[in-house]
Amino acid sequence: MKVIKEIIKDHIAYRKQIWKLAKADLTKTYRGSALGWSWAIIKPVVTIFVYWFAFSIGLRANKPINGYDFFLWLIAGVVPWFYMGDMITTGTKCIRNYSHLVTKMKFPVSTIPTFVSISNMIISIILILIVIMIFWIFGYPPDIYMLQIPFYVLLTFIFFTLWSLFASFIGAISKDFINLVKSFVTAIFWLSGILWDADSVTIPWLRKFLNLNPVTFLVNGFRNCFINKIWFWEQPKRLMYFVIITIILLLLGIWSYKKLRKEIADVL
Amino acid sequence: MGKTVIEFKNVTKIYKLYKNDKRRLLAIFIKKIPHKQKKAVNNVSFKIKRGESVAIFGKNGAGKSTILKMITGVTFPTTGEIDVKGRVSALLELTTGFDPEFTGRENIYLKGRILGIKEKEIKKLEPQIVEFAELEEYIDQPVRTYSSGMKARLGFSINVNIEPEILIVDEALSVGDEKFKKKCIKKVNEITKKENVTLLFVTHTTSVAKEFCKRGMVMNNGQVVFDGNIQDAIQAYNKIIE
Repeated sequence: MKVIKEIIKDHIAYRKQIWKLAKADLTKTYRGSALGWSWAIIKPVVTIFVYWFAFSIGLRANKPINGYDFFLWLIAGVVPWFYMGDMITTGTKCIRNYSHLVTKMKFPVSTIPTFVSISNMIISIILILIVIMIFWIFGYPPDIYMLQIPFYVLLTFIFFTLWSLFASFIGAISKDFINLVKSFVTAIFWLSGILWDADSVTIPWLRKFLNLNPVTFLVNGFRNCFINKIWFWEQPKRLMYFVIITIILLLLGIWSYKKLRKEIADVL
Repeated sequence: MGKTVIEFKNVTKIYKLYKNDKRRLLAIFIKKIPHKQKKAVNNVSFKIKRGESVAIFGKNGAGKSTILKMITGVTFPTTGEIDVKGRVSALLELTTGFDPEFTGRENIYLKGRILGIKEKEIKKLEPQIVEFAELEEYIDQPVRTYSSGMKARLGFSINVNIEPEILIVDEALSVGDEKFKKKCIKKVNEITKKENVTLLFVTHTTSVAKEFCKRGMVMNNGQVVFDGNIQDAIQAYNKIIE
């Protein structure tokens, strides 16, 4: 409890700095190259093209899903994933990347995951807005189900900020952990039903098991807004599992903060 | 002379040394992983009052830097209590602590913001900082292109110009050429003349310390072995290094 209080207090006291540092983190990522900000768009466009090409041209899996073109189904899930995938790795590395804030000055370390997460989320929100526009262009104007998007954005943000709180402290202590996480990202990507529909799995227990995965839950959540047209309260069990996993992650985050907060400055 | 601004109560700092990073990772989960312990600071207590200038002497590895790091709040004591009041400006390892992708000017703002200084105040201090650092047109270039001397000048300039209440100088004056060194000494002197500024000065060169400080502390093997008049402290220090 004391630790939660400390973390919240740090966040309130440094709220202005968190925004400024998130902004600085963004400019740092996208400046200093000739194309600058357009990389934030080019990279996802290339990735989406590759997936689309491999699946619809290569594997010929381009059947419409729920009446929506495969391309639309693809971007509704892949675009939110970009943030998740980035956060799994940068979330683990963030304290190491900002080690000067730890070793050179007095700074509330618990806010580093938060501002890195905010900076990644800003890009993600812009991309999601572009997805909404693409749906519009394809003849699907925003409807009432899309009101859920901010809700899922919030859930995604909370989940991966907590992940980062947990992972960044261990990542600061050990490079092995960072490599471990990195090697799992691709596995998570292919196993979480981002390029295929987890609900189309025919083995019942496996389908249930897959839906415990928080990444699957979030990606499905975004697809529920764009394509399946399902409200979040229509699948209460899945939401409950997600909340439970998030709480476990919160506890792990607090544990790792408490355990390592005082140690990392001596190690970095 | 007034209130106590820095107080150490029976402070001990132990570093845990593991054979490799793998063991350190395992130690997070398992308590019994073998490791060596190094006592960097051993049961140290002292008080420093507002406006005092204190020199800290000691051989390499005597625990000086650890004490300074604990005062800045970067690292934490293993046992004991530390009480620090006021805006600490530390000139520790001047060449680091910048974001290399940003320009010198942006780094001034970034550092100011992190320290919680208002935008207006930074704007007011900016020309002063830029001028003091003598970087001229380089101020708008990314810090990664700077030489170590340039980084040190910028670091020094930021730290002395943000109107610190507690100024910590750690061997910093040994950077740069003779001319800049003199300018730094003059600036530090100027700051410490203001009554409410406390100075902590860590150095091997006793002659420079004599210029600033009235009080001297000598450290050896993690303990404070002498605390008192600067002249006596220098003598005590010279005895240790003989």
